Amino acid sequence: MATNNDAYRQLANWLQRTIAAAAGESASFEADEAEGDSVTTDSGPRGFHLRFYRQLPDFVMTLLQHPGDAHALMPYTALLYHLAACPDCHATYLDLYRALHPTLEADHMLPPMEYGVRSLSAIPAESLVHVCRSLIGQAEAVLRQGRRDDADGSAQARSLLQLAMRFSTHITQPGMRGAALADLVRVATLFDGPHSPGEEPPAAHSYSPLVGAAGPRHGSRVARRGGAIARSQPAPSDAPAIYLQARHLEGSITQQGDMLELHLHDLDAALRGRSLLISIPLGGLIEPVRWQGGDPRAIRALAPVSADGSLRAPLGTTDLRLALPEERNLLEAMFMLIEVRPAD
Amino acid sequence: MPFTARDLRYHPEETYPALYAYLARYAQHYLGSLKYDPVEPELVVNHVIDHLIRLGLLGGGDRTPPTVLDQLSNAQFYSFLHNSCKNKAIDRLRKHRPSVSNFSELEMPNRTEGEDDPLNEAVEPLWGAPFATPEEIALALATQHELRQVLIHCLAALKAAPKQLFAMIQELKEVGADEVLQDTLQALQQEYLAAGDAATIAHMSQHKDHAHKKLRHCLQAQSSNLTVRVALRLTEYGVPAANPAGFVIALSEITQDNLSPEDARAGLRELASEGLLDWHGGDAVHLSDAQMKRLTRFYREE
Repeated sequence: MATNNDAYRQLANWLQRTIAAAAGESASFEADEAEGDSVTTDSGPRGFHLRFYRQLPDFVMTLLQHPGDAHALMPYTALLYHLAACPDCHATYLDLYRALHPTLEADHMLPPMEYGVRSLSAIPAESLVHVCRSLIGQAEAVLRQGRRDDADGSAQARSLLQLAMRFSTHITQPGMRGAALADLVRVATLFDGPHSPGEEPPAAHSYSPLVGAAGPRHGSRVARRGGAIARSQPAPSDAPAIYLQARHLEGSITQQGDMLELHLHDLDAALRGRSLLISIPLGGLIEPVRWQGGDPRAIRALAPVSADGSLRAPLGTTDLRLALPEERNLLEAMFMLIEVRPAD
Repeated sequence: MPFTARDLRYHPEETYPALYAYLARYAQHYLGSLKYDPVEPELVVNHVIDHLIRLGLLGGGDRTPPTVLDQLSNAQFYSFLHNSCKNKAIDRLRKHRPSVSNFSELEMPNRTEGEDDPLNEAVEPLWGAPFATPEEIALALATQHELRQVLIHCLAALKAAPKQLFAMIQELKEVGADEVLQDTLQALQQEYLAAGDAATIAHMSQHKDHAHKKLRHCLQAQSSNLTVRVALRLTEYGVPAANPAGFVIALSEITQDNLSPEDARAGLRELASEGLLDWHGGDAVHLSDAQMKRLTRFYREE
């Protein structure tokens, strides 16, 4: 076809206008991306850009190894259209191109040496917080992409969340650990819906750990959560515990041998004398606990709530020890949300 | 302690300390005077870590497909990490450099602008990255035949909504961009638009908006790309057949050069669903004369 450069240029201009994202969007065909609040730990493309993002290294290497070969670019046509429309992914493409180009001639780069950092605990907490948030953000992107493509990304997302939890156990400052896992519950339960559709009533109380409450010494202890000062009641024994709070209510998780026990106090009169169903939404995320009844989202308390509003309920057995800091941190991450509701 | 891309993929917790130390060392080295900044070194390291997580390498295990990064030699992989760090550090230095705001600062002897200034090492390489701007990409998509076929495919896919198809044909004519797609647009107009459709269509801008949205989605869909690649190969490799009359193409002919059997089958299914051919999963594709004519109309070589 006899055409001139102007005609191609006009087509290119039209194409760019057509595929360019509408103002304020990264790519307007992804309009439904705005439906949820994505994790925004940093700048850069997330969500439905994942499919394109992961093609970038192979695309760059194809460009480097087959320069000027349009045929070699055919598998990447969709990516090219996306890059023309998405400034974030285009910037990442340039980043990767600049980083990968010199590698073709790199045969002399020395391997990393021993720089003195030998364990995760020796790494600055800020860095570990960032890794955890990035892993959780990636898990969210995988889940959203999977839902959009009608594919199951749950195994991959689960693996990323588990990794985030394991990294977080090496953060010694409780406040920083809380920041690292701030989005964990939301992402882990992103597309859960009701456990039993139409049957699960709303939780009577939702407990979460008191950040900074390492364990009782003698009597009560003050811990800070969400800017509020809270007084936590001591665990039944002077043993390591995870302290919990649900608005004005308090509780704790203790360990007797291998058994983890939930203790709740001052439950309202409407719950007294009734059996409770305990749900631990993150209980299935990692598997170091053999849950009472088998389902961490439906643990039936063996005894009803007592007349004074207290409840003691075995949750399950584990080889992890609350007395060991990293293992305690892992358990604390798993208990980031505990819901209780009447069983009847 | 040396580590490999494989270590990062399968043993992230054990490998992360060494990765962090490696990146932190180069971040500090290339940040020059900013290496004492409380934020900048961490920001550079985090940038590279984010890349590795998003690319599915750090902690990806078997759940994310390997990329070319997994195939690099150890020296190449270290080079990649080193370059990523260096480039980000230099970007950060450049971002800080305009902060010089008065003459006295300019006149002050500044060690970072001397011989040790990392920016001095940041000479732009002679090789320029292809597709350096979105405009350059759009031009390639318009000028290169193979890439342009996806646009033609997506325009043809608008046939289910003739008013939207008409709106796009009109728009391309108005901006003078129809010249390179002339034959295709004419064919589409003849085949899918009734003569009356050329009359004024109410709510034209609305049809345009809907058509743009569909085009954006179609152009960035992997399925469009597969469909076009398979269609191109059908028109290229089809050989005349006597019984049944028409053309025949073996599936093995289609699955060459980076097109897997699964992808080829997906493309064939898509073409079949669009009514462009009849295929029921066999090892050969039969095309009638009419089907071949229709395919070549949209996917032919010029």
